[in-house]
Amino acid sequence: MNSVGLEEVLAWLREAAARIEEQKEYLTQLDSAIGDADHGINMNRGFKAALERLEANPPEDIAAALKSVAMALIGKVGGASGPLYGTMFMEMAKAIDGKERLEAADVAAAFRAGIDGIKARGKAEEGDKTMIDALEPAYAALQEAVASGAGVGEAIAAAADAAARGMEATIPLVARKGRASYLGERSAGHQDPGATSSHLLLAAAAEAWGS
Amino acid sequence: MRAERIGGSLVGIVVVSHSAKLAEGVVELARQMGGGDVALAAAGGIDDPESPIGTDAFAIKEAIESVWSDDGVLVLMDLGSAIMNAETALEFLEPPADASRVLLCEAPLVEGTVAAVATAGIGASLSEVAAEARAGLTPKIEHLAPAEAAESEATPEVARGRSIVLRVGNPLGLHLRPASRLVETVGRFDAEVRIANRTTGSDPVPARSLARVSALGVRQGHEIEVWAAGPDADAALSAISDLAADDFGDRDLPAAPPPPKAETPAVEPRSEGTVVGVGASPGVAVGPARYLRRPALEVPTGPPADPEADRQRLRQAIDAVRADIESQREQVLARAGEAEADIFTAHLLILDDEHLIGSALERIGPSTGAAEAWQAATEAVADDFRRLEDPYQAQRADDVEAVGRQVLARLLGVDPRPRMEAPGVLVADDLTPGETATLDPEMVQAIVTAAGAPTSHSAILARGLGVPAVVAAGPLEVEEGTPLLVDGTAGSVVIDPPPEQVAEARRRAEEDARRLEEARSRAAAPAVTTDGVAIEVAANIGSVEDARAAVEAGADGVGLLRTEFLYLNRTTPPSEEEQEETYRQIAEALGGRPLVLRTLDVGGDKPLPFLPRPPEQNPFLGVRGLRLGLAEPELLMSQVRAALRVAATHPVRIMFPMVSVLSEWEQVRTMVGEAAEQIGGLPDGLQIGVMVEVPSLALAADRFAAVVDFFSIGTNDLTQYTLAAERGNPELANLADALHPSVLSLIDRTCRAAAEHGRWVGVCGEAAGDPLAVPILVGLGVTELSMSPVAIAQVKDVVRRIDASDARRLAASALEMTSAEAVRQAAAAFLGT
Repeated sequence: MNSVGLEEVLAWLREAAARIEEQKEYLTQLDSAIGDADHGINMNRGFKAALERLEANPPEDIAAALKSVAMALIGKVGGASGPLYGTMFMEMAKAIDGKERLEAADVAAAFRAGIDGIKARGKAEEGDKTMIDALEPAYAALQEAVASGAGVGEAIAAAADAAARGMEATIPLVARKGRASYLGERSAGHQDPGATSSHLLLAAAAEAWGS
Repeated sequence: MRAERIGGSLVGIVVVSHSAKLAEGVVELARQMGGGDVALAAAGGIDDPESPIGTDAFAIKEAIESVWSDDGVLVLMDLGSAIMNAETALEFLEPPADASRVLLCEAPLVEGTVAAVATAGIGASLSEVAAEARAGLTPKIEHLAPAEAAESEATPEVARGRSIVLRVGNPLGLHLRPASRLVETVGRFDAEVRIANRTTGSDPVPARSLARVSALGVRQGHEIEVWAAGPDADAALSAISDLAADDFGDRDLPAAPPPPKAETPAVEPRSEGTVVGVGASPGVAVGPARYLRRPALEVPTGPPADPEADRQRLRQAIDAVRADIESQREQVLARAGEAEADIFTAHLLILDDEHLIGSALERIGPSTGAAEAWQAATEAVADDFRRLEDPYQAQRADDVEAVGRQVLARLLGVDPRPRMEAPGVLVADDLTPGETATLDPEMVQAIVTAAGAPTSHSAILARGLGVPAVVAAGPLEVEEGTPLLVDGTAGSVVIDPPPEQVAEARRRAEEDARRLEEARSRAAAPAVTTDGVAIEVAANIGSVEDARAAVEAGADGVGLLRTEFLYLNRTTPPSEEEQEETYRQIAEALGGRPLVLRTLDVGGDKPLPFLPRPPEQNPFLGVRGLRLGLAEPELLMSQVRAALRVAATHPVRIMFPMVSVLSEWEQVRTMVGEAAEQIGGLPDGLQIGVMVEVPSLALAADRFAAVVDFFSIGTNDLTQYTLAAERGNPELANLADALHPSVLSLIDRTCRAAAEHGRWVGVCGEAAGDPLAVPILVGLGVTELSMSPVAIAQVKDVVRRIDASDARRLAASALEMTSAEAVRQAAAAFLGT
């Protein structure tokens, strides 16, 4: 797939919501080890609300769809991932405002804006054992794929693979942000739930946009 | 969420918790403790019966709006998402609620809320309420762990990185200039830096936002806390600590607002008769009184055609104004020095302020266009400053408005400069460098200022324009259009003069005009004294265009090429090729006239982005001029090679600034030799000289004269360093005069040493273009005068009228005098004006 339009974006969001529902228990289980055991429940509630909004008010374009998801996540998630992912979707919406279709480079630019939004909101950096540890390597891979002329499908697949590696690499890290940081050294040895949900979102896109 | 609004204009309080029960409970507890009139709302839990624990940004937004008070709202939160959702809520607030008056407070939830409600109930301000909330744990600590109480007071900085606490010693606190230096310093480091006013208990604000830092309201004696995180955190903190030790570069300001100028003690404004001030530019003119007026800016309201296009227009307008201010800054820097140019730096920082620009861009929307949004955003920031009830903060508001107007005018396509509405006599308190830089010369027939001195901008401008000026005349209270007779020679102003006086003045003015016209027509001819001494009258320039303008103005050459323009406002040094090309273009524009090229002359007060240097206590006595060149030899070598290549085919002379001891000369001379070897030899007849700015060089002029080819006296710095008086300081304007006998004595010493060794001496400071200084300098033995091109015709005219041997006697008697004023009087008498 060389570019994606509103239909494909909606397909991704539906796929993401489905995967989050499916993985709800797993995410919550990860969160119970080092957090407050609500990440799966929160994300599932947020994405369900997002799908309801999209159905109730069908978006006119991609930006409207992403913005709608942002508002749902901010309003419904309840945990820190609400404002964080909410900000990410909001920044992505702004970055591609007015575009009918997204080329791989547009996706990369939107993703960059989204990550920057999360960083500004959560003040986390790579290595803090957060979503950023999955998202930054994913962006790097996405960017590299774009530079080598890959289409959207191929590029997002590379990003999802990188996110998986980044997610796994959070296991030995000591958390420096979020509830897990209260555990200090004891947070090492567990995979970060935020990095895991970030990977889920990218894997859903790779699935939805795969050639 | 439950809101209880009982009324009053007290600070409102919102309690945010993951648990609705906890939030409600805290509200209940705080309510019990007092503060019955305080509007208090709980925003706890989320709207999901199965899993009710969490926080909801929209619920927090509504809670803030429900307790909204113009005195502000304090938000206390539990942890994690509560903080981020509270931050997010601020972005969605709807008027009248205003995020800038909501304080997200890191105080402990239960104790903090109780303390906050109790304090808010007595009508305390938002910052006072926040300070009490933060101190909420103290009673508990004192009870349970009294020994740790003292230490714990200083530890609210969890997770913000390292921090330091500094006491602000500046007499005026962190007003715009020091705040802008702080922001500028922070900008040099890769670190996230936040700063809070501990004394007022403010929340930390990003140190990169000038508006936010200034709005902390830091005054003398306040304690600030600075946190830094990121790779350069330590370096940033250390630089900030140095800056604070240096009073944020603010040492020169008086502790109190300066009293009315000594020479104009609180006098009643004059509205009739003859006013006597100080003549600052000779000549006579009659014209109607004119004041500077700002053009009205009419801001269109209503929906823009395309909001995105309007955002783009706003960005472009800001960029354009930034470019304007940068170029004004360069001009003023070149003409008047760093202290005067500082205010432009502050203005530039306002234009870079993310808070201001972000809020303006956000306001643009379907119903609000760029001009309206920008005006609203700047007014909001200016109002924030004004609310601080501090006269110096009010000045910051003025700065924001001044810059705001420029951008607005650019958006509206209007020329924003204050202007005279018709030609006439400009009447002002004193002219700022900015006003001086933007005046329309066609309109100005004469200048009268209430304050100022013969060395101030108004006077320099008047001499540059060749119009009469009277400074230090005291306040005038005359209606616009009232006829004024200005005699810049006698230093008098006649208000509403009788017809016969006007007729006499007109005759003299016509004579002056004729003389100037004649001088201009002969500007290109050589300037030779009546007894045959040729004086080279040259121009000071700073660009290729200047070189062309100099030739047109009649310059015999260029006595000072300021090469800084090649280095400023860029992130990498200019390549050797670029330098060579520029110097070549300038030399070619001069058509065979000599060109004195001064090597890079900057210091720690104006660090080059690509050449980070440690901050200095006193940059004017620091690593500047040649000292910097010797510390960064590659930079200097590259410049010297470029100059030498051009010197092979053009009459280029190389001059080194800020030389103070002979060993510096020896080092740089060796470098020139090496550079020449690298490019295939020293051009034939190349002259290499030094600027005389440091008294130690003038005192050792005999040693230098044996080895240099020429001297050029930088009277501005030589005067500053000799009299220890900064030129830009209005209170010292009378002291910092190049015609002071002590300065003349150093020039005399230099000229004598030069004559013994057959070297020539030039002057490239402001004094070279001052007609009264000309006979003195020529009398001392100076044979080259280099100045702003506008002064050339007049100076040549003066040279042609004097007899060099008479001038020598005048100079000899000037050396015996005790004040610059006496020297000026003697010179005026000598010139018979």
